[in-house]
Amino acid sequence: MKGLFCFALLAAGFEALASARAHHSFYAEFDSNKPVKVTGVVTKVEWQNPHIWFYVDVRNADGSVTNWGFSGGSPNQLMRRGITKKVIQPGMTIMVQGFRAKDGSNNASGGKVTFTDGKSVFTASAEDKVQSEDKP
Amino acid sequence: MKPVFLIAFSLVMSLPLHLSGQSSGATKASAPTAVKRTPEGKPEFSGIYEWPKSLGGEQCKCSATIFDRKFFASLKPGGEPFYEPPTGDPHHDEPRDFCMPAGFPSGMLSAYPIQMFQSKDYLVMVHEFQRMTRIIPLDGRKHHEDIEPTYYGDPIGHWEGDTLVIETTNFKRWTLDDNFYSNPKESRMHSDALRTVEHIRWKDKDKLSYLLTIDDPKIFTKPWSQEFQIKARPDWEATGLLEYVCQENNRCPGGKCQGQ
Repeated sequence: MKGLFCFALLAAGFEALASARAHHSFYAEFDSNKPVKVTGVVTKVEWQNPHIWFYVDVRNADGSVTNWGFSGGSPNQLMRRGITKKVIQPGMTIMVQGFRAKDGSNNASGGKVTFTDGKSVFTASAEDKVQSEDKP
Repeated sequence: MKPVFLIAFSLVMSLPLHLSGQSSGATKASAPTAVKRTPEGKPEFSGIYEWPKSLGGEQCKCSATIFDRKFFASLKPGGEPFYEPPTGDPHHDEPRDFCMPAGFPSGMLSAYPIQMFQSKDYLVMVHEFQRMTRIIPLDGRKHHEDIEPTYYGDPIGHWEGDTLVIETTNFKRWTLDDNFYSNPKESRMHSDALRTVEHIRWKDKDKLSYLLTIDDPKIFTKPWSQEFQIKARPDWEATGLLEYVCQENNRCPGGKCQGQ
Protein backbone atom coordinates (compact mmCIF):
# COMPACT_ATOMS: atom_id res chain seq x y z
CA MET A 1 0.00 0.00 0.00
CA LYS A 2 1.43 3.35 -0.95
CA GLY A 3 0.84 5.51 2.06
CA LEU A 4 1.38 8.79 0.26
CA PHE A 5 -1.84 8.43 -1.64
CA CYS A 6 -5.00 9.95 -0.37
CA PHE A 7 -6.12 6.46 0.32
CA ALA A 8 -7.70 5.18 3.49
CA LEU A 9 -8.75 1.92 4.97
CA LEU A 10 -12.32 2.33 6.04
CA ALA A 11 -13.94 1.30 9.27
CA ALA A 12 -16.29 -1.49 10.09
CA GLY A 13 -19.31 0.00 8.37
CA PHE A 14 -17.68 -0.47 5.04
CA GLU A 15 -16.46 -3.92 5.93
CA ALA A 16 -20.01 -5.08 5.44
CA LEU A 17 -19.41 -4.58 1.77
CA ALA A 18 -16.14 -6.43 1.95
CA SER A 19 -17.93 -9.73 2.21
CA ALA A 20 -19.87 -9.04 -0.93
CA ARG A 21 -19.19 -11.36 -3.82
CA ALA A 22 -20.11 -8.82 -6.37
CA HIS A 23 -20.59 -8.85 -10.11
CA HIS A 24 -19.17 -11.51 -12.32
CA SER A 25 -15.64 -10.23 -12.18
CA PHE A 26 -15.40 -8.67 -8.74
CA TYR A 27 -14.27 -11.88 -7.11
CA ALA A 28 -11.52 -12.36 -9.66
CA GLU A 29 -10.43 -8.76 -9.98
CA PHE A 30 -10.71 -6.95 -6.68
CA ASP A 31 -9.56 -7.55 -3.14
CA SER A 32 -12.46 -7.32 -0.72
CA ASN A 33 -9.99 -6.85 2.13
CA LYS A 34 -8.64 -3.62 0.66
CA PRO A 35 -11.33 -0.95 0.69
CA VAL A 36 -10.33 2.40 -0.78
CA LYS A 37 -11.75 5.88 -0.41
CA VAL A 38 -10.38 8.72 -2.48
CA THR A 39 -11.42 12.21 -3.48
CA GLY A 40 -10.37 13.85 -6.71
CA VAL A 41 -11.29 15.22 -10.11
CA VAL A 42 -12.78 13.03 -12.83
CA THR A 43 -10.49 12.90 -15.87
CA LYS A 44 -12.20 10.36 -18.10
CA VAL A 45 -15.34 8.23 -18.22
CA GLU A 46 -15.73 5.00 -20.21
CA TRP A 47 -19.41 4.10 -20.22
CA GLN A 48 -18.81 0.69 -21.75
CA ASN A 49 -19.43 -3.01 -21.19
CA PRO A 50 -18.88 -5.13 -19.32
CA HIS A 51 -18.34 -2.46 -16.64
CA ILE A 52 -18.09 1.28 -16.71
CA TRP A 53 -14.71 2.76 -15.80
CA PHE A 54 -14.06 6.26 -14.62
CA TYR A 55 -10.75 7.87 -13.75
CA VAL A 56 -9.99 10.30 -10.98
CA ASP A 57 -6.92 12.47 -10.41
CA VAL A 58 -6.14 12.28 -6.70
CA ARG A 59 -3.68 14.72 -5.14
CA ASN A 60 -1.24 13.04 -2.78
CA ALA A 61 0.23 14.43 0.42
CA ASP A 62 3.47 15.33 -1.36
CA GLY A 63 1.62 17.31 -4.00
CA SER A 64 1.94 14.73 -6.73
CA VAL A 65 -1.15 13.44 -8.50
CA THR A 66 -2.18 9.83 -9.03
CA ASN A 67 -4.78 8.84 -11.57
CA TRP A 68 -7.04 6.12 -10.13
CA GLY A 69 -9.30 3.94 -12.28
CA PHE A 70 -12.64 2.74 -10.92
CA SER A 71 -14.83 -0.02 -12.29
CA GLY A 72 -18.60 0.13 -11.78
CA GLY A 73 -21.59 -1.88 -12.91
CA SER A 74 -22.54 -2.49 -16.51
CA PRO A 75 -24.02 0.47 -18.39
CA ASN A 76 -27.20 -1.56 -18.85
CA GLN A 77 -27.68 -2.33 -15.19
CA LEU A 78 -26.95 1.26 -14.23
CA MET A 79 -29.32 2.68 -16.81
CA ARG A 80 -32.16 0.55 -15.47
CA ARG A 81 -31.39 1.96 -12.03
CA GLY A 82 -31.73 5.46 -13.47
CA ILE A 83 -27.99 6.15 -13.60
CA THR A 84 -26.78 7.39 -16.98
CA LYS A 85 -23.41 8.58 -18.18
CA LYS A 86 -24.52 12.14 -17.47
CA VAL A 87 -24.11 11.41 -13.77
CA ILE A 88 -20.31 11.40 -13.86
CA GLN A 89 -18.62 13.94 -16.10
CA PRO A 90 -14.96 14.88 -16.52
CA GLY A 91 -14.08 17.86 -14.37
CA MET A 92 -16.36 16.90 -11.49
CA THR A 93 -14.90 16.52 -8.02
CA ILE A 94 -16.09 13.27 -6.47
CA MET A 95 -15.36 10.93 -3.60
CA VAL A 96 -15.25 7.26 -4.55
CA GLN A 97 -15.44 4.22 -2.31
CA GLY A 98 -14.53 0.80 -3.55
CA PHE A 99 -12.05 -2.06 -3.32
CA ARG A 100 -8.55 -2.12 -4.73
CA ALA A 101 -7.52 -4.32 -7.64
CA LYS A 102 -5.82 -7.57 -6.71
CA ASP A 103 -2.72 -6.63 -8.66
CA GLY A 104 -2.13 -3.65 -6.36
CA SER A 105 -2.40 -1.15 -9.20
CA ASN A 106 -4.23 2.13 -8.86
CA ASN A 107 -7.45 0.52 -9.99
CA ALA A 108 -10.44 -0.35 -7.86
CA SER A 109 -14.08 -1.22 -7.93
CA GLY A 110 -16.08 1.97 -7.69
CA GLY A 111 -19.11 1.16 -5.62
CA LYS A 112 -20.24 4.52 -4.36
CA VAL A 113 -19.69 8.01 -5.73
CA THR A 114 -20.40 11.06 -3.59
CA PHE A 115 -20.61 14.53 -5.12
CA THR A 116 -19.65 17.86 -3.61
CA ASP A 117 -23.27 18.60 -2.71
CA GLY A 118 -23.35 15.47 -0.55
CA LYS A 119 -25.55 13.49 -2.91
CA SER A 120 -24.33 10.06 -3.90
CA VAL A 121 -25.02 7.35 -6.45
CA PHE A 122 -24.34 3.70 -6.26
CA THR A 123 -22.34 2.92 -9.36
CA ALA A 124 -21.40 -0.67 -8.63
CA SER A 125 -23.09 -3.79 -9.87
CA ALA A 126 -26.46 -4.89 -8.59
CA GLU A 127 -24.80 -7.33 -6.22
CA ASP A 128 -23.09 -4.55 -4.34
CA LYS A 129 -26.35 -2.66 -4.23
CA VAL A 130 -28.04 -5.63 -2.59
CA GLN A 131 -25.32 -5.77 0.02
CA SER A 132 -25.44 -2.08 0.75
CA GLU A 133 -29.18 -2.12 1.18
CA ASP A 134 -28.87 -5.02 3.57
CA LYS A 135 -26.21 -3.27 5.60
CA PRO A 136 -26.34 0.47 4.96
CA MET B 1 -51.84 -32.43 -33.55
CA LYS B 2 -55.55 -33.10 -34.07
CA PRO B 3 -57.95 -30.70 -32.33
CA VAL B 4 -59.69 -33.39 -30.28
CA PHE B 5 -56.40 -34.72 -29.09
CA LEU B 6 -55.25 -31.19 -28.35
CA ILE B 7 -58.27 -30.55 -26.13
CA ALA B 8 -57.76 -33.85 -24.35
CA PHE B 9 -54.11 -33.08 -23.91
CA SER B 10 -54.92 -29.67 -22.48
CA LEU B 11 -57.23 -31.27 -19.96
CA VAL B 12 -54.53 -33.71 -18.98
CA MET B 13 -52.08 -30.84 -18.56
CA SER B 14 -54.42 -29.11 -16.17
CA LEU B 15 -53.50 -31.89 -13.75
CA PRO B 16 -50.40 -31.52 -11.59
CA LEU B 17 -47.12 -31.76 -13.42
CA HIS B 18 -44.90 -34.59 -12.35
CA LEU B 19 -41.49 -35.27 -13.70
CA SER B 20 -39.43 -38.04 -12.30
CA GLY B 21 -37.65 -36.68 -9.28
CA GLN B 22 -39.45 -33.36 -9.21
CA SER B 23 -39.51 -31.90 -5.79
CA SER B 24 -41.05 -28.56 -6.56
CA GLY B 25 -44.49 -28.02 -7.78
CA ALA B 26 -45.87 -26.21 -10.71
CA THR B 27 -49.33 -27.45 -10.00
CA LYS B 28 -51.48 -26.11 -12.81
CA ALA B 29 -50.51 -26.30 -16.43
CA SER B 30 -53.45 -24.43 -17.98
CA ALA B 31 -52.77 -20.87 -18.99
CA PRO B 32 -55.00 -18.19 -17.49
CA THR B 33 -57.83 -17.34 -19.86
CA ALA B 34 -56.55 -13.78 -20.41
CA VAL B 35 -53.26 -14.98 -21.86
CA LYS B 36 -52.51 -13.79 -25.37
CA ARG B 37 -52.26 -16.62 -27.90
CA THR B 38 -50.54 -17.19 -31.20
CA PRO B 39 -52.49 -17.83 -34.42
CA GLU B 40 -51.89 -21.53 -33.73
CA GLY B 41 -53.61 -21.20 -30.38
CA LYS B 42 -50.47 -21.55 -28.29
CA PRO B 43 -49.72 -19.25 -25.37
CA GLU B 44 -47.71 -16.27 -26.61
CA PHE B 45 -44.40 -15.81 -24.83
CA SER B 46 -42.94 -13.06 -27.04
CA GLY B 47 -41.94 -10.12 -24.88
CA ILE B 48 -39.40 -8.83 -22.37
CA TYR B 49 -38.98 -10.39 -18.97
CA GLU B 50 -36.92 -10.29 -15.83
CA TRP B 51 -34.60 -13.19 -15.24
CA PRO B 52 -35.97 -16.24 -13.35
CA LYS B 53 -36.30 -15.53 -9.66
CA SER B 54 -36.68 -17.91 -6.75
CA LEU B 55 -39.99 -18.21 -4.94
CA GLY B 56 -38.18 -17.74 -1.63
CA GLY B 57 -35.59 -19.89 0.07
CA GLU B 58 -31.88 -19.75 -0.63
CA GLN B 59 -30.64 -16.51 -2.20
CA CYS B 60 -27.22 -15.65 -3.62
CA LYS B 61 -25.02 -12.91 -2.17
CA CYS B 62 -25.05 -11.62 -5.69
CA SER B 63 -27.72 -10.42 -8.07
CA ALA B 64 -28.09 -13.69 -9.94
CA THR B 65 -30.56 -16.37 -8.99
CA ILE B 66 -29.14 -19.61 -7.66
CA PHE B 67 -30.60 -23.03 -7.03
CA ASP B 68 -31.85 -23.83 -3.56
CA ARG B 69 -30.04 -26.87 -2.20
CA LYS B 70 -33.17 -28.10 -0.49
CA PHE B 71 -34.37 -29.26 -3.91
CA PHE B 72 -31.20 -31.18 -4.75
CA ALA B 73 -31.36 -34.92 -5.08
CA SER B 74 -28.75 -36.94 -3.21
CA LEU B 75 -25.28 -36.95 -4.65
CA LYS B 76 -24.24 -40.16 -6.26
CA PRO B 77 -21.49 -41.92 -4.33
CA GLY B 78 -18.32 -41.79 -6.33
CA GLY B 79 -19.89 -39.59 -8.97
CA GLU B 80 -18.22 -36.61 -10.56
CA PRO B 81 -17.45 -33.77 -8.15
CA PHE B 82 -20.36 -31.37 -7.86
CA TYR B 83 -18.83 -29.03 -5.30
CA GLU B 84 -15.49 -27.79 -6.47
CA PRO B 85 -13.36 -25.38 -4.44
CA PRO B 86 -11.49 -22.58 -6.17
CA THR B 87 -7.99 -23.37 -7.33
CA GLY B 88 -6.66 -19.80 -7.34
CA ASP B 89 -6.51 -19.90 -11.12
CA PRO B 90 -9.10 -17.36 -12.30
CA HIS B 91 -9.36 -19.14 -15.64
CA HIS B 92 -10.82 -22.04 -13.69
CA ASP B 93 -12.52 -20.22 -10.84
CA GLU B 94 -14.34 -17.52 -12.81
CA PRO B 95 -13.88 -17.98 -16.56
CA ARG B 96 -16.49 -15.31 -17.24
CA ASP B 97 -13.90 -12.82 -16.05
CA PHE B 98 -12.15 -13.60 -19.32
CA CYS B 99 -15.44 -13.22 -21.18
CA MET B 100 -15.99 -16.94 -21.42
CA PRO B 101 -19.67 -17.93 -21.70
CA ALA B 102 -21.86 -18.24 -18.65
CA GLY B 103 -23.48 -21.32 -20.17
CA PHE B 104 -26.87 -22.78 -19.38
CA PRO B 105 -28.47 -22.80 -16.89
CA SER B 106 -26.12 -20.36 -15.11
CA GLY B 107 -26.48 -17.65 -17.76
CA MET B 108 -30.26 -17.95 -17.76
CA LEU B 109 -30.22 -17.01 -14.08
CA SER B 110 -28.04 -13.90 -14.56
CA ALA B 111 -29.53 -10.62 -13.46
CA TYR B 112 -30.29 -9.12 -16.84
CA PRO B 113 -33.47 -8.91 -18.93
CA ILE B 114 -34.56 -11.66 -21.29
CA GLN B 115 -36.43 -11.09 -24.53
CA MET B 116 -38.34 -13.92 -26.14
CA PHE B 117 -39.44 -14.19 -29.75
CA GLN B 118 -41.89 -16.91 -30.66
CA SER B 119 -43.03 -18.38 -33.94
CA LYS B 120 -44.72 -21.62 -34.84
CA ASP B 121 -41.42 -23.40 -35.23
CA TYR B 122 -39.07 -21.56 -32.87
CA LEU B 123 -38.77 -19.89 -29.53
CA VAL B 124 -35.76 -17.60 -29.36
CA MET B 125 -34.56 -16.44 -25.96
CA VAL B 126 -32.11 -13.55 -25.94
CA HIS B 127 -30.55 -12.82 -22.57
CA GLU B 128 -28.96 -9.41 -22.25
CA PHE B 129 -26.07 -10.85 -20.22
CA GLN B 130 -23.42 -11.76 -22.76
CA ARG B 131 -26.21 -11.54 -25.36
CA MET B 132 -26.80 -15.22 -24.72
CA THR B 133 -29.10 -16.46 -27.48
CA ARG B 134 -30.93 -19.75 -27.32
CA ILE B 135 -32.69 -20.80 -30.50
CA ILE B 136 -35.14 -23.51 -29.56
CA PRO B 137 -36.73 -25.47 -32.42
CA LEU B 138 -40.37 -26.40 -31.85
CA ASP B 139 -40.78 -28.25 -35.13
CA GLY B 140 -40.42 -31.77 -33.83
CA ARG B 141 -36.81 -32.33 -34.76
CA LYS B 142 -34.57 -34.56 -32.68
CA HIS B 143 -31.40 -33.60 -30.84
CA HIS B 144 -28.23 -33.34 -32.86
CA GLU B 145 -26.03 -36.38 -32.83
CA ASP B 146 -22.27 -36.57 -32.71
CA ILE B 147 -21.60 -32.91 -32.10
CA GLU B 148 -19.15 -31.54 -29.57
CA PRO B 149 -20.49 -30.70 -26.11
CA THR B 150 -21.37 -27.03 -25.72
CA TYR B 151 -21.83 -24.37 -23.05
CA TYR B 152 -25.51 -23.88 -23.77
CA GLY B 153 -26.40 -27.36 -24.94
CA ASP B 154 -28.73 -28.49 -27.69
CA PRO B 155 -32.34 -27.51 -26.95
CA ILE B 156 -35.53 -28.78 -28.56
CA GLY B 157 -39.02 -27.84 -27.48
CA HIS B 158 -42.53 -29.17 -27.71
CA TRP B 159 -45.91 -28.24 -26.34
CA GLU B 160 -47.71 -30.15 -23.64
CA GLY B 161 -51.02 -28.33 -23.59
CA ASP B 162 -50.31 -24.74 -22.61
CA THR B 163 -46.87 -25.60 -21.28
CA LEU B 164 -43.77 -25.30 -23.42
CA VAL B 165 -41.31 -28.05 -22.58
CA ILE B 166 -37.67 -27.57 -23.56
CA GLU B 167 -35.25 -30.43 -23.25
CA THR B 168 -31.55 -29.60 -23.56
CA THR B 169 -28.67 -32.03 -23.83
CA ASN B 170 -25.06 -32.07 -25.04
CA PHE B 171 -23.42 -29.88 -22.41
CA LYS B 172 -19.78 -29.60 -21.52
CA ARG B 173 -18.87 -29.63 -17.83
CA TRP B 174 -19.37 -26.09 -16.56
CA THR B 175 -20.62 -24.01 -13.66
CA LEU B 176 -24.22 -24.78 -12.74
CA ASP B 177 -24.94 -21.44 -11.06
CA ASP B 178 -23.37 -18.49 -9.21
CA ASN B 179 -23.32 -20.16 -5.81
CA PHE B 180 -19.59 -19.54 -5.45
CA TYR B 181 -20.32 -15.86 -4.90
CA SER B 182 -22.15 -16.89 -1.73
CA ASN B 183 -19.70 -19.58 -0.75
CA PRO B 184 -16.33 -19.46 -2.50
CA LYS B 185 -15.67 -23.06 -1.46
CA GLU B 186 -18.69 -24.28 -3.35
CA SER B 187 -18.51 -23.86 -7.07
CA ARG B 188 -21.27 -26.12 -8.29
CA MET B 189 -20.24 -27.90 -11.44
CA HIS B 190 -22.61 -29.91 -13.61
CA SER B 191 -21.20 -32.76 -15.64
CA ASP B 192 -21.23 -33.44 -19.36
CA ALA B 193 -24.12 -35.83 -18.74
CA LEU B 194 -26.41 -32.94 -17.81
CA ARG B 195 -29.87 -32.93 -19.30
CA THR B 196 -32.20 -30.07 -18.44
CA VAL B 197 -35.94 -29.83 -18.87
CA GLU B 198 -37.73 -26.49 -18.70
CA HIS B 199 -41.48 -26.22 -18.28
CA ILE B 200 -42.68 -22.71 -19.13
CA ARG B 201 -46.27 -21.61 -18.75
CA TRP B 202 -48.24 -18.52 -17.84
CA LYS B 203 -48.99 -18.50 -14.14
CA ASP B 204 -51.08 -15.35 -14.29
CA LYS B 205 -51.35 -12.43 -16.68
CA ASP B 206 -47.84 -11.10 -16.06
CA LYS B 207 -45.84 -13.98 -14.58
CA LEU B 208 -44.45 -17.15 -16.05
CA SER B 209 -43.89 -20.29 -14.08
CA TYR B 210 -40.45 -21.60 -14.97
CA LEU B 211 -39.84 -25.11 -13.74
CA LEU B 212 -36.28 -26.21 -14.31
CA THR B 213 -35.31 -29.85 -13.95
CA ILE B 214 -31.69 -30.90 -13.52
CA ASP B 215 -31.01 -34.43 -14.62
CA ASP B 216 -27.31 -35.16 -14.16
CA PRO B 217 -26.85 -38.89 -13.72
CA LYS B 218 -23.10 -38.59 -13.18
CA ILE B 219 -23.76 -36.49 -10.07
CA PHE B 220 -27.25 -37.02 -8.70
CA THR B 221 -29.14 -40.19 -7.84
CA LYS B 222 -32.22 -38.86 -9.63
CA PRO B 223 -33.46 -35.74 -11.42
CA TRP B 224 -34.60 -32.80 -9.32
CA SER B 225 -36.49 -29.60 -10.06
CA GLN B 226 -37.00 -26.09 -8.82
CA GLU B 227 -39.75 -23.73 -9.83
CA PHE B 228 -38.85 -20.10 -10.52
CA GLN B 229 -40.95 -17.13 -11.53
CA ILE B 230 -40.31 -14.95 -14.55
CA LYS B 231 -42.02 -11.56 -14.49
CA ALA B 232 -43.08 -9.91 -17.72
CA ARG B 233 -41.78 -6.34 -18.07
CA PRO B 234 -43.70 -4.68 -20.89
CA ASP B 235 -42.41 -1.37 -19.50
CA TRP B 236 -38.96 -2.42 -20.74
CA GLU B 237 -40.21 -2.92 -24.31
CA ALA B 238 -39.53 0.67 -25.33
CA THR B 239 -35.87 0.43 -24.33
CA GLY B 240 -35.46 -3.15 -25.41
CA LEU B 241 -32.33 -5.12 -24.82
CA LEU B 242 -29.07 -3.24 -24.77
CA GLU B 243 -25.77 -4.37 -26.19
CA TYR B 244 -23.43 -6.33 -23.97
CA VAL B 245 -19.99 -6.98 -25.42
CA CYS B 246 -17.82 -8.41 -22.69
CA GLN B 247 -14.56 -7.86 -24.54
CA GLU B 248 -15.24 -4.17 -25.05
CA ASN B 249 -13.61 -2.86 -21.91
CA ASN B 250 -12.73 -5.84 -19.74
CA ARG B 251 -9.80 -4.09 -18.15
CA CYS B 252 -8.80 -6.34 -15.24
CA PRO B 253 -9.23 -9.95 -16.38
CA GLY B 254 -8.06 -12.34 -13.72
CA GLY B 255 -7.16 -9.45 -11.44
CA LYS B 256 -4.42 -8.12 -13.73
CA CYS B 257 -5.39 -4.65 -14.84
CA GLN B 258 -4.34 -3.39 -18.22
CA GLY B 259 -3.21 0.14 -18.94
CA GLN B 260 -5.60 3.04 -18.64
